[in-house]
Amino acid sequence: MKNTLLTFSFLLCSLAIAAPVNTGHAEASLITNLQDTQQESFYLGVRLKMQEGWHTYWENPGDSGGAFEASWTKDEGIIIENVEWPTPVTIPYPPLMTYGYEGDVIFPFKVFRAIDADLSIVSLKFSFLICADICIPEEAELSIDLSTAKPSQMLEQTIQNLPINFLDTKTSASDETITIKFQAPAIFSEAYFFPREDGLFTYTSVQNLKQIDDETFEIAIPALTSEIESFSGILRLDEQGYQVKETLEISTPTMSLFSAIIFALLGGLILNLMPCVFPVISLKVLSFVSMGGNDHVKIRNHALTFVSGVLFTFLLIASILIFIRSSGAMIGWGFQLQSPEIVGVLTLIMLGIGLVLLTDINMAKGLTTIGSNVQSRNDYSGSFFTGVLAVVVASPCTAPFMGAAIGYALLQPSFATLPIFLALGLGFSSPYLALALKPQWISALPKPGAWMETLKQFFAFPMMATALWLMWVFMLQTSGDALIQLLVLSLALAISIWMIATFNNAFKWIGLTLTVVAGIQFFTNIPVNQIDLEQGASNSGWDVLLESDLQAQNQAYLINFTAAWCITCQANEKTSLGRASVKKYLVDNNIKYIKADWTNRDENITKSLSKYGRSGVPLYVFWKPGMQRSKILPAVLTEAILIRGMQ
Amino acid sequence: MKFFSVTALFLISFNIYSAEIKLNDPKLNEPAPNFVEKNSYGLNIQLSDFIGQPVILEWTNHECPYVARHYSEKNMQAVQKAAEKKGFIWLSIISSTPGDQGHVSRDQANELTISRNASPTHVLLDESGKIGMQYGAKTTPHMFMIDAKGVLRYKGAIDDIGRGMKFFDASFNDSVNYISTQLDAVLQSNELKISNTVAYGCSVKYDY
Repeated sequence: MKNTLLTFSFLLCSLAIAAPVNTGHAEASLITNLQDTQQESFYLGVRLKMQEGWHTYWENPGDSGGAFEASWTKDEGIIIENVEWPTPVTIPYPPLMTYGYEGDVIFPFKVFRAIDADLSIVSLKFSFLICADICIPEEAELSIDLSTAKPSQMLEQTIQNLPINFLDTKTSASDETITIKFQAPAIFSEAYFFPREDGLFTYTSVQNLKQIDDETFEIAIPALTSEIESFSGILRLDEQGYQVKETLEISTPTMSLFSAIIFALLGGLILNLMPCVFPVISLKVLSFVSMGGNDHVKIRNHALTFVSGVLFTFLLIASILIFIRSSGAMIGWGFQLQSPEIVGVLTLIMLGIGLVLLTDINMAKGLTTIGSNVQSRNDYSGSFFTGVLAVVVASPCTAPFMGAAIGYALLQPSFATLPIFLALGLGFSSPYLALALKPQWISALPKPGAWMETLKQFFAFPMMATALWLMWVFMLQTSGDALIQLLVLSLALAISIWMIATFNNAFKWIGLTLTVVAGIQFFTNIPVNQIDLEQGASNSGWDVLLESDLQAQNQAYLINFTAAWCITCQANEKTSLGRASVKKYLVDNNIKYIKADWTNRDENITKSLSKYGRSGVPLYVFWKPGMQRSKILPAVLTEAILIRGMQ
Repeated sequence: MKFFSVTALFLISFNIYSAEIKLNDPKLNEPAPNFVEKNSYGLNIQLSDFIGQPVILEWTNHECPYVARHYSEKNMQAVQKAAEKKGFIWLSIISSTPGDQGHVSRDQANELTISRNASPTHVLLDESGKIGMQYGAKTTPHMFMIDAKGVLRYKGAIDDIGRGMKFFDASFNDSVNYISTQLDAVLQSNELKISNTVAYGCSVKYDY
């Protein structure tokens, strides 16, 4: 009995190291790096020892030839992934160029095993094209018994040398040449880029290499078309290959400075109607009304002061953006809301405005002029400050057209950034500019009266709703504990506003002073999510290459670039993306729905946004097989717009 | 400095090849380059002789496994018959260098036509590879369609099966044949919907 067992296992052993199969011009064998029987993931390798002078092909074979086919027979508990291609070599057959492998090559396949799956025999039908100056399709039936197979050192070596790392690259296109700028991780003497996709590049052309500085190089690859949006491949530096996956910016070149300015004007104008801005703006208009329709000079001056406050703030924001950008950081519109401190302060501002509206603080020196008795003293700082405030409360919003314009602005040199922000400010304040030109228009509004008081009080509620929403954002960015502290601070703010409204002596400022002190204390010690502090960290796990991966898999997708603090995004999710009919459409049409959450700072998402020439959310990107390039859906969605956009 | 010399070497090593044999890339929807070559009966055939009739160019090499399958499964012959029915001239061009795979004598060429039941109007023996390079023929098969006015309308693959070993398992019936589906459009001298595809198959055996 013992003997039979021995003989049997000996037989199995000899099967496992089965002799290589001679296919005609090569010897093929199946090997593994499985070390112990508990491993859940390991590799299988097809080793092809080709005769001198013969070669087989990479996944993109170049001008002729073709890649192999592998069809596996295995147990259900075993998953074998697609081949991980080793770095190919150039095999020139002038005037043609082919890409492949010569001599002794191993093709590694990653294997995953269900923990309870038995190790047994895996077999493979491997058919490949082997060529010298002529080509012959050959085939091998290979098998390996995983329960007894010995780990192969050669396979291990091949896996070590796989082109798995990505290089730090930057790609630009001019005419019909794609230039990849890269940081060389090591000294090298030869470079060649193997394009993965077919039909984008010429294979025979010389790829010019240029050294920029010590470690920076540029390789220029002649393309077949000037309309390449994305491509991938392997950059070979001597013996080592590096993965390259590039997307060229799409919308930047399609928009001119002129159209960006038009977009900015329109976007700014529409911004007036956004829920967080509307109350503040309306109050300004009401203050014009209360000045009475007669004093046109006064109305004009106040309108102009308000406009200059708006423009000043927009230019200030632009300067800050330019400054941050010059320090190399990736930024976008709404980036300020990625900081919980700013969200917290905005919460208090919104709440404060709401409270002032509700309480009996004399409106003449009240809300639109917080802190200074303007109109009575006939100075204009209040109007200016309202302009500033309007922009501050507008900052969470992206109006239609605005995204594209700001996206463009942030990718341009500073001289183009400023005019766009200026246009945004002008668009935003254009109703008041019109009022400054024609103060008599104010008489078209209803006469001042008791209704104004009621309307003012009513406007407290949208402001408080905005505060609530910001609190929610704040909670997502920090923690429940921090939120409670913010709520306590809100209570203190409410008390101090009550004190201002109630007492009439110096005592009334004590509450506010204390609140401000407590606020400073709080905001400097805010418990921020740790990950946020790491520069450039991506905490969402967002993969910039996701789109090209999905396109490669022919998987339709809809990406929702969103953030908790983006009110337009939230509105879209309620009115369209979250609707049952939309969900059903996505499922029925096998469209993968992906959410990229930019609530917290995330370098990778910022990068993806900038590929679409955007610097802020919302952004909706849709692609399905057959489309040349992914499509940007409108910033304000309805069910109908969304579904039509995907048809 | 070391870097520059290495780069220079790298460039030179490629230029050695590209200096002698150069593939052109004829422009679509412009007059197709003219050529004269002897056919398998020793007669001079000139492309411009066929003005007034649409022409299909087929680069072929009977020993190439891709071509062999197109012929052994009667796929190429079916496309030829369909084209001829509509009045197309079919030129099969062999650009293999003497001594290389696919090179045939006149007699062998005629035998192949008979044995495979093929019906090209002419088989051209482009031993120097001149026509191949003029048209940028890279693979066998590699197809070109020229309308009756002599305008190049199509260059590329014969169908959408494509490269790799998957070709040998794919069904011709399930594929889209870029030639037979676009014969009518070429007859009407229209620009084609699909005019430029990546040809697949064996490399053309030029003299290298």
